[in-house]
Amino acid sequence: MTLARTLATASALAIAAGAAQAEDTLTISVYSFAQDEFQEIVYDPFMEICDCKIVVETGNSVERLAKIEANKENPVIDMAVLSTHDALSAARKGLLAPIDTAALSNYDKLYDIAKDPLGDHLGVGYTFYATSIVYRSDKVTIDSWADLLSPELAGNVALPDITTNQGAPALLMIGEALGDADYALSTPTNAVAEQADDIVTFYVRSSQVAQLMQQEEIWAAPIGRFAWASFKDNGLPMAWATPKEGQTGGMNVMVMTANNGNEALATRFMDFWLSTEVQTNLAEALVDSPANAEVVVSDDIADNLTYGAETVAQLKLLPPDVILDSRETWLDQWNATVMK
Amino acid sequence: MFEDRRIGLALAMPAAVFAAALFLAPVIILLSEGFRGAEGWTLAPYIDFFSSDRNRVVFLRTLKLATLVAGVSAIIGYATAFAIVSLPPASRGRMFALVTLPLMISPVARTYAWLVILGRTGFVNQILVGSGLMDTPLRLLFTETAVFIGLLQLFLPLMIISLISAMENMPRDAVPAARVLGANWVQVFFKVILPLTREGLVVGGTLVFTGSMTAYITPAILGGSKVLMLETLLYQRVTVANDFASAAVIAMILIVMAFSANIVLKRMATARARR
Repeated sequence: MTLARTLATASALAIAAGAAQAEDTLTISVYSFAQDEFQEIVYDPFMEICDCKIVVETGNSVERLAKIEANKENPVIDMAVLSTHDALSAARKGLLAPIDTAALSNYDKLYDIAKDPLGDHLGVGYTFYATSIVYRSDKVTIDSWADLLSPELAGNVALPDITTNQGAPALLMIGEALGDADYALSTPTNAVAEQADDIVTFYVRSSQVAQLMQQEEIWAAPIGRFAWASFKDNGLPMAWATPKEGQTGGMNVMVMTANNGNEALATRFMDFWLSTEVQTNLAEALVDSPANAEVVVSDDIADNLTYGAETVAQLKLLPPDVILDSRETWLDQWNATVMK
Repeated sequence: MFEDRRIGLALAMPAAVFAAALFLAPVIILLSEGFRGAEGWTLAPYIDFFSSDRNRVVFLRTLKLATLVAGVSAIIGYATAFAIVSLPPASRGRMFALVTLPLMISPVARTYAWLVILGRTGFVNQILVGSGLMDTPLRLLFTETAVFIGLLQLFLPLMIISLISAMENMPRDAVPAARVLGANWVQVFFKVILPLTREGLVVGGTLVFTGSMTAYITPAILGGSKVLMLETLLYQRVTVANDFASAAVIAMILIVMAFSANIVLKRMATARARR
């Protein structure tokens, strides 16, 4: 009898504690990179001011999206950060709710392209990156995307695999250099297929490129600016190309899961992340390039980031709906030509 | 062993329940994914899989590399095992330890070592260019050759160990007797050693073949996305495309290939024995 009562009391307490906890817990889903820095710059300071707990779930976008979809009826994740096209894919499945941008005090400070990249305020951009070509300045000079397929570079180039976030944007720019900037990407895909034997590998992670460059397996590869820091101090003469066709890139957005019941806290957290102070700290730690136009950093820091209104305005970004609607076709085309 | 069979059954229960609940059931659920379409059971995922050029290339490459690795390791394995078994017991122990040593080093570390050895500025190319045999360094990484070398080094010890234990069970005087009766070494190998060690060859061959077929790290690092094998393709389908149906198809193909390899090798061994 006593035992039963103790157990009942204990479970009642546990339920109460669980309920109390649920009110102040924010569950976020983020990329697994630079989590120590995010903890220090974003999560810990926010937990101090909100008097709440942040539960962080990490993983690649596919795993994280699958989890959000699996828990659609009873959302576990309150807010997530995703690439624009993954966010759009979640939005189309009805997994997202519009963000109350009126409640974001830092919203007006954002670059225009970050304000509503998905439409209907389903996402807010918090960082971008340029994608261009990193190369060995003592071996070659690169001033066009077409140089990647030039005879001088044959056998010395790595390209991003079509399945990576850099894959399609890099093909788009190669296409533009070859005179066909169509989103079908058939001209650049065929050009790459013809020279597939001269491409050292199709990489899937930017860390792999850093290693290949260090081992002098390759002299050039298209990469995202976020990875530049791992090249510039590798002891070899490295340069970041500014091709005449321009640079491409990508944007990441914050999203709110539909019906999570924790919208107010999630919105407060997004606002905190977008604040000039947090965005500056993230930029100075070389974690993320700022989407907040009021962020000011030193030239030295700026050199490692995708920074400044001018740079941001010139990025040739693939629209998220194009990526989403075409990626199966791109993959089939790639598998049928390049991988054959 | 037990007077009451029920005691034996009871003792086996925990392990059987564990295996059924945590291994068999998930495997059956996963594999059944590959037969499930929008309108019930179907073979469509398999037809789709094999109708893609890329997938057929990957399937044939996996089959080819696994067969080559198993074949070459059998050739090297017989020579090595025979040499080790002929040694006096003390040195035999030492050599056996040397053969098993690589198995104690992580495959990741071993594969990364190949990345350095086979690289453009690596050991092999330094010798080739330094000695004047080649003008420019060979491109070895991210080729089928690199994957083959990596897999061979990874699984050769399994073949050697299987063959050593088979040869140790061979009658001591079988080889000398055959020699005395006038058989040359080729005849000794095919008529005496091979029939007497066929079980070791079946075990070793199955281990090496299935190991090469299902290895992930080595083809991923040394082959990359240009030299996809079934295992790396499976990983890509799940992590990039969240496409569990294709992944289940690939998993089923791998299981069928592993069982078929074992059956084929056993058939070959018994057919030889009957002759």
